[in-house]
Amino acid sequence: MKRTLLFGLCLSLLLAVAFGQLNFVSTQFHPATEREYFEGSLLPDFVKLTNVKVQFLPLTYEEASVRLRAEQAANRVTIGLFAELQGGMELMASGGLLKDISGVTFSDRTFISTFEKYAHGYGIKQFVPWLQATFVMVINKKAFDYLPKGLTKEDVLKGTSKWTYQALLEWAKNIYDKTKMPMVGFPENPQGLFHRFLHGYLYPSFTGGQFVKFDSLDAVDMWAYLKELFKYVSPGSSTWSFMSEPLMRNEAWIVWDHTARIPAAVRADPEQYIPAPVPAGPKGRGFITVLVGLALPKNAPNEAEAVRLIDYLTSATTQFDILEKTGFFPVIEEAIGVIPAGPNKVLAEAVVAQAGAPDAMVSFIPGLGPKGGEFTAYYREAFRRIVYENEDIKKVLQDIAPKVYQTVKESGATLPQPDASLFH
Amino acid sequence: MIHHKGKIALMLLLPTFAYLIVFIFYPLVDTCLLAFSNPAGPLENFRRIITSGEFWKTLRNTLVITGIVVPLQLILGLALALFVNLRFKGYLFILYIIAIPLALSDVSAALMSYSIFASTGFLNKLLMAWGWIERPLYFFGFRFQDRAFWVIVITEVWRATPLVFIILLAGLQAVNKEYLEAANVFGFSPWQKLWKIVLPILRPSILSALLIRTIFAFQVFGVIWILAGRDIPVLAGEAYYWQTVVYNSNISSAYGLIIAVVTILISWAYITFLKPKSFEEEAV
Repeated sequence: MKRTLLFGLCLSLLLAVAFGQLNFVSTQFHPATEREYFEGSLLPDFVKLTNVKVQFLPLTYEEASVRLRAEQAANRVTIGLFAELQGGMELMASGGLLKDISGVTFSDRTFISTFEKYAHGYGIKQFVPWLQATFVMVINKKAFDYLPKGLTKEDVLKGTSKWTYQALLEWAKNIYDKTKMPMVGFPENPQGLFHRFLHGYLYPSFTGGQFVKFDSLDAVDMWAYLKELFKYVSPGSSTWSFMSEPLMRNEAWIVWDHTARIPAAVRADPEQYIPAPVPAGPKGRGFITVLVGLALPKNAPNEAEAVRLIDYLTSATTQFDILEKTGFFPVIEEAIGVIPAGPNKVLAEAVVAQAGAPDAMVSFIPGLGPKGGEFTAYYREAFRRIVYENEDIKKVLQDIAPKVYQTVKESGATLPQPDASLFH
Repeated sequence: MIHHKGKIALMLLLPTFAYLIVFIFYPLVDTCLLAFSNPAGPLENFRRIITSGEFWKTLRNTLVITGIVVPLQLILGLALALFVNLRFKGYLFILYIIAIPLALSDVSAALMSYSIFASTGFLNKLLMAWGWIERPLYFFGFRFQDRAFWVIVITEVWRATPLVFIILLAGLQAVNKEYLEAANVFGFSPWQKLWKIVLPILRPSILSALLIRTIFAFQVFGVIWILAGRDIPVLAGEAYYWQTVVYNSNISSAYGLIIAVVTILISWAYITFLKPKSFEEEAV
């Protein structure tokens, strides 16, 4: 039975190759609603436009990797186009499985330069950026009445060099001095994503890496800064998981959270709750991004059709459509122009401004598998001991650092950005 | 014929056995296996928990919350049951009002409590409107653990007292009125009637209420999780945390077993020291 199935699958793939059908393997769009949108709406529109037949094959990274290796070893590649996260692409490229696509360009769009940078590696252009998800700040416009000297609303919304963590501290202090209320908020509850702020935002911005400089002198400065900032952070933070709620309840005016956890506030009143890029630290504007790319496997068939599909999927209108239907954000600057005014536009503007800032420093979430929970728990432990329990910063960092390094080592994960770039 | 009846009885028992095996026995065995699984040794997970520093704080918090909440619920539940048992006009209406929180989940109760005590909640708005305070009072967060603790106690008492009340009210219905009439004849004061007649007869109900509430108090974490996160760690909350946030089923299972052992010990103590004695035993 298994043999028959395998034979049938091989035959259908061979026929597909013979008759010019494009096989699109993707590790994304697996959830039922996303898959339904992709197969039921997005791809049929492409087929209508181009008359190119596409077979969508949702596979896990492991399945796709095994299959691609086997096909390349047998010199019978059937996968025409491959969609995966940046980390997976890096691994594929390190194994020589991807084609250099530096010749694939589109004159009518500008890909965010930060993503273009990370699309290159191992001497080739590995992929074309396709989608992104990230974390941003959201600000209640009342807070703009208390901006510190030298910082403008424009600086905050555009993510200029003046929008720094030091400026955030002065802003928070100014609000507190004038209102006697601590109005900065973080999703500190265990169900919230505050740990991502620690390892993916603060650490890169202050030390240049997520964990390789966990107990460095720069890290000591970073924790001292956080202790100071927390004088102006609402005590209620430890009960918050999703920041749209305290924003709408007026319990916090300046918050940070994942783009999927704040739309309720932004959609409720996009003029009152305004998304903005995160501040920058001494080493840059560290931010986590989930970056999905489109790649051509080496010796892939139907290259012309694959490039047409890349063209379609990265066009401004498709990027907007994907944002509306799935919540993934555009990776081209022109997409902002086609998004009508409203919550999606203000959110997308913040996301693109953050990624496109000259000092942007991308953090990719380390692929630690089941060790991911322990890794992030160490950052929360350091936070609790330093900020709340007032323990000596150096002692806490020296105590926890070996555990962080050991966890990463045991997981077998490759060094993520920006840590990897510290060694190049 | 007997053999046939035995088969039917067995078949009738099968669903119960199936339920017990699938939902009690299998999870219990699996939890034990997970709790004692560690490459460094079968007791490593427990060693890690006990030497973590967090454990003793967690155990202390659980015991303190249980030690405050359960007696408060018992006293309040008893007072309310005695009051409603007077059967005054409109007592049924009062009974339903008291029983309302029974319909609420712990999450709903915690959210209601949050909306009262939050910095922009009803209480702060009221106090500011009356001019009693200029700025809101904070009840949540690491720096206000003591306040958060008492909000948790109030929420838990409000949410779960009706269960104690219902059990005790049912027990009061069983008190034979002839005993109380006889007490009247002998000139007992109301206090003496309560102490010498009602409470001894109510002892099995009190034991049931205490057992149920203590076991539930050891499992409580929804209210605490929402109102304090891990600022006030408790045993059940740690089991949940290790499973859903750290993804370590072994440590989580070890916490589960610790909760089971502590609960069994306390239940044993209740049954041993509060077991109702029969009249014959008392006579001896």
